[in-house]
Amino acid sequence: MNFSEKLKSGKFLITSEVGPPKGINIDKSLDEAELLKEKVDGFNVTDLQSSVMRLGSLAVCHLLAKRGLEPIFQIICRDRNRLALQSDLLSAYVLGIRNVLILTGDHPVLGDHPEAKPVFDLDSVSLLKVTSGLIEGKDMKGNDLDGKPDFCLGAVVNPGADPLEPQLVKMEKKIEVGARFFQTQAVYDLKKFEEFMKKAEQFGVPILGGIVILKSSGMARYMNEKVAGVSVPEKYIKMMAEAKKGERAKVGIQIGAELIRDMKDLCQGVHIMPLGWERYVPELLKASGLD
Amino acid sequence: MLAVQIKPEEEILPKISGKKLFIFVCLGCQEVYFPREDVERFINNLREEIVGKALLDYLCNREFVGEYVKGYSKQIERANVILVFSCGVGVQVVSSLLEDRVVYTGCDTLYLNGFQGLTSQEFNCNQCGECYLNYTGGICPITNCPKSLLDGACGGAKNGKCEVDPEADCAWILIYKKLEKIGKLDILKKILSPRDHSKIITESLSREEIER
Amino acid sequence: MAEMSLIDYTKFRLKPNGEVREIFKGVNRIHILSCGKCYQKFEEENEEEYTQLLKILGKEYKKIAGYTKIDFLCNNFLSKKKILSSDLSNCDSVGVISCGLGVQFVAKLLERKPVYTLADSVPQSGNSTSEVGYHGISLEKEKCAGCNQCYLNLTGGICPITDCPKSLSNGPCGGAKNGKCEVNPELDCAWVKIYERFKKQGKKLTLESVQIRDYSKPSLELKSDLSLQNQTLRGEGFYGGLYPLEKKEETKDKKIENFPEPKTAVIFLSQHTGERAKPLVKSGDKVKVGQKIGEADGFISSPIHSSISGKVISIETRVHPVSGRKDLAIVIENDGENKFDPSIQPYNDFENLSKEDLLKIIREKGIVGLGGAMFPTHVKLSPPKRIDTLIVNGCECEPYLNSDNRMMIEYPKEIFVGIRIVQKILGVKEVLVGVEDNKPEAIKSLSNFLDKSSLVEIVSLKTKYPQGAEKTLIKRILGREVPERGLPLDVGVVVLNAGTIFAIYQAVVKGVPLLQRVITVSGENLTRSGNYWIKIGTPFKDIIECCLNKGGGERFLEEYELKMGGPMMGISQESLDSSVIKGTTGLIILRKSLVKVSEERDCIKCGRCVEVCPVQLYPLYYGFYGKKGDLEKAISYNVESCIECGCCESICSSKISLLSFIKKEKEYACSSNKA
Repeated sequence: MNFSEKLKSGKFLITSEVGPPKGINIDKSLDEAELLKEKVDGFNVTDLQSSVMRLGSLAVCHLLAKRGLEPIFQIICRDRNRLALQSDLLSAYVLGIRNVLILTGDHPVLGDHPEAKPVFDLDSVSLLKVTSGLIEGKDMKGNDLDGKPDFCLGAVVNPGADPLEPQLVKMEKKIEVGARFFQTQAVYDLKKFEEFMKKAEQFGVPILGGIVILKSSGMARYMNEKVAGVSVPEKYIKMMAEAKKGERAKVGIQIGAELIRDMKDLCQGVHIMPLGWERYVPELLKASGLD
Repeated sequence: MLAVQIKPEEEILPKISGKKLFIFVCLGCQEVYFPREDVERFINNLREEIVGKALLDYLCNREFVGEYVKGYSKQIERANVILVFSCGVGVQVVSSLLEDRVVYTGCDTLYLNGFQGLTSQEFNCNQCGECYLNYTGGICPITNCPKSLLDGACGGAKNGKCEVDPEADCAWILIYKKLEKIGKLDILKKILSPRDHSKIITESLSREEIER
Repeated sequence: MAEMSLIDYTKFRLKPNGEVREIFKGVNRIHILSCGKCYQKFEEENEEEYTQLLKILGKEYKKIAGYTKIDFLCNNFLSKKKILSSDLSNCDSVGVISCGLGVQFVAKLLERKPVYTLADSVPQSGNSTSEVGYHGISLEKEKCAGCNQCYLNLTGGICPITDCPKSLSNGPCGGAKNGKCEVNPELDCAWVKIYERFKKQGKKLTLESVQIRDYSKPSLELKSDLSLQNQTLRGEGFYGGLYPLEKKEETKDKKIENFPEPKTAVIFLSQHTGERAKPLVKSGDKVKVGQKIGEADGFISSPIHSSISGKVISIETRVHPVSGRKDLAIVIENDGENKFDPSIQPYNDFENLSKEDLLKIIREKGIVGLGGAMFPTHVKLSPPKRIDTLIVNGCECEPYLNSDNRMMIEYPKEIFVGIRIVQKILGVKEVLVGVEDNKPEAIKSLSNFLDKSSLVEIVSLKTKYPQGAEKTLIKRILGREVPERGLPLDVGVVVLNAGTIFAIYQAVVKGVPLLQRVITVSGENLTRSGNYWIKIGTPFKDIIECCLNKGGGERFLEEYELKMGGPMMGISQESLDSSVIKGTTGLIILRKSLVKVSEERDCIKCGRCVEVCPVQLYPLYYGFYGKKGDLEKAISYNVESCIECGCCESICSSKISLLSFIKKEKEYACSSNKA
């Protein structure tokens, strides 16, 4: 079963992330991914995440596919105009990529090249629409394509956003223009997530809840302060703060596993964003009983 | 106001059909460009009930608009839709003053070349935050070249004319000629790009900081 | 008034110190041109950037060969004059402190000199996806990128293009924390604002359709067409000026009718520039039509005649329509007998009268300029310098007015006779009749009577206000520039209004003094608007009773604004007891606006007054120093040259009553000149 079929099957899905390196040494990332081959249903490859210049998502997805892994190609609107975006999507298809996650992307001033010209010619919604068009064999101006790509399209949603309403409106719109699954921002507050799910259920589209392994109490506090829609409950912060230096990863994994176990009843999968801790993902899956 | 054009009917009419309207028309920049006749014709042809109409200049000035909003409060109260004919600034000011009311615009706004200091003129400035004119003989490559090229011509000019806008002279040919005339061709060796786009966003967002 | 927080939209700042020093390494003698800045609250005249520059330079400042501050450097027309009149001979290069507009302009103007910019523009947009950001002619926070596909109807009036750093038009990115933008935490998330706005309106945020911005809009052609159209319109004929709505349709086809004689005439003794006339009658005296009742007092003065027959009932003070102050008037009760004074005799042999005789008649018959200024015509026709051209002013560029227009349509023959008389007096051959092209009928009518052999030429002028002002008219027709503080005669020209020419004809040929004049009564809610022969001294009250729907009534002045003259230069009337004088070109009755905009406001240096001033002044200073009470300073900005056309006040984006400041300053200048 490929990822698209698994989505339809109703199976509880697990996706993880591969962050391309800043440079060309890619073997380590690929090896780590390979370790998860049988445990994970898809690998998101981030596209210059946080506006930091790195190896490209397209190339890494292609390499994953070559190794028989299932890549989810993340594509953002910050760096390419509508011509390049459409073209890269076609390139992705011929390089064996079948799943695409479409995002707007962070603003360049947040990254390591703040002087860059932001493009944002399209945004996530319009790019989803355009991609759906490509799937039907037309470019965005209505010109016929010679052979059409077939993608399983995904999008993102922030279940902790406040106010939530605009997110839901936008989510609905994304579905309207072709999103077939969603991955969410990191979830720590299950109550909030449950409320979100109650409202999002009506759309009938699979949602994979986001999981980020906590690395420290500082990280938790930082996210609470800075990251939109993320609120780490005090009890987790305390657990992290009390953990001894060598045991923080263990505690983080324990928290992650707890969240995943609880999410099983709420949504159709989890999306794990290891942020450099790819090596702990197998352990996390084991702890949460998904191994 | 910048230059405005009236929106296509099919875009406005469905939004206001059957509604009671209060209309604001800005006259502030009619000396610049405002299709007053089009607007009047449009208003006269409306079938909707017009409960009031205010013509004023400088709809972009919150203080004036505030006084008008007060003066016409009874009519505005009776309207379902406030329809504004002005540039985008005027519309935003009206809707920020009447936050709980539905405010629609009947216009699309476009930017006229060079309308920054006074009326439009042959020069234009995009306020990039890092003036390149010292390297280009006082001819701006950001505004005069459609690709805003900083390091020389793209090579597409034909008979000195730009390939994107054949009416325009190629900015880089003009720059070359100018520098040749003043004997400063060596300036062309300097590499100017890449531009710092973060200036636009960071500096204009926190003006107070720039001042000091 | 509550202090508004006004954003400083200054468009440039000095380049970083290092860069400035680098520039100075390459120059030996540099002249600095510095722009006076725009779009900031006008608080003081400062030369902040220049002072800062000197500080940065240290000893290098010696390289500065000269310094000129120019307001609105981007105003190519005015700045060109100033720059070319500065002495740039002793410098090898020019440094400019201004935004990119000023620098480009100077670089083009001084093509052969290296021009350096010492400043960087300050970005205005706040959004690097839509670089251009425009804030209107105000200092508010709202901005517009001029995308030509306005989204405001979909977003509750909040612009996602300028307010969202990513210009997202399909909903929020999800990165907002506590309603703040993740790109700049000082900024509210545009989409959260949009959501809240909709909530306030009781509506739900719906995203109707997928928005994809069309970057080919606006097309290059449209932009350049409009820009060009705008530039042409601005520069047409003469610098500055406005295109106010003409509003002439209402009365332009209405034939001149006789207005009923007043039951009581109030005839002011001051109906001209110069000394007030001395009364020749006393209460109880019987007077006839055309009888001289006031004698000119000195050379620059003019006699006054009774416009009706009847009895003088008093000589008392009334509110004068020009000064607004109480002034002496002779009040005459009409006996309805319409008896003419024996002095009214046609001069059958007027063709043979000498220049001196003609001038005497014109003086005796009380002829003054009928365009509004009321300067005694005999004085104007006795110039101390040689005159080569007479210009007949048939522009009537004020909105609403049609009195000259109708005169030219109905009395072309008489006007040509009048022209001949003036030609003789001045000894000029060349006569140009300037008529705006919105009066085709007048042009046709005059042309029909045009004597081919004479040197009279009718010039059709593109309509623009204030074309009829003497100085602009001379510039427009002859290309001659009347010097600052000078008069038309300094360039060999006399300008007479078409109505005045007719009055000269009446006086010389028919022997009739100035008893009545043609007045346009127009405006709003009038049942009898029109052009009328109205007797001098007819109270305004009579005219309003007759012409306004349901008459005036007690509350007239509360509901209406009455202006003597046109809407631009006309004088607002405070009393209906005032009456028609020789300079009454029209009476305009307009409904008072529901909203009275309070007047004390700060100048924001938008520059529009400078752009419309036909005399090429910088009116912002008159308001600024007028408010401060520093009248000397206003005089240093040449306030005496102002022709009070009202363009600056009419376009002022801060609604400063510039004219009232200007009048005060001119009065002060006049009195200090005398002293």
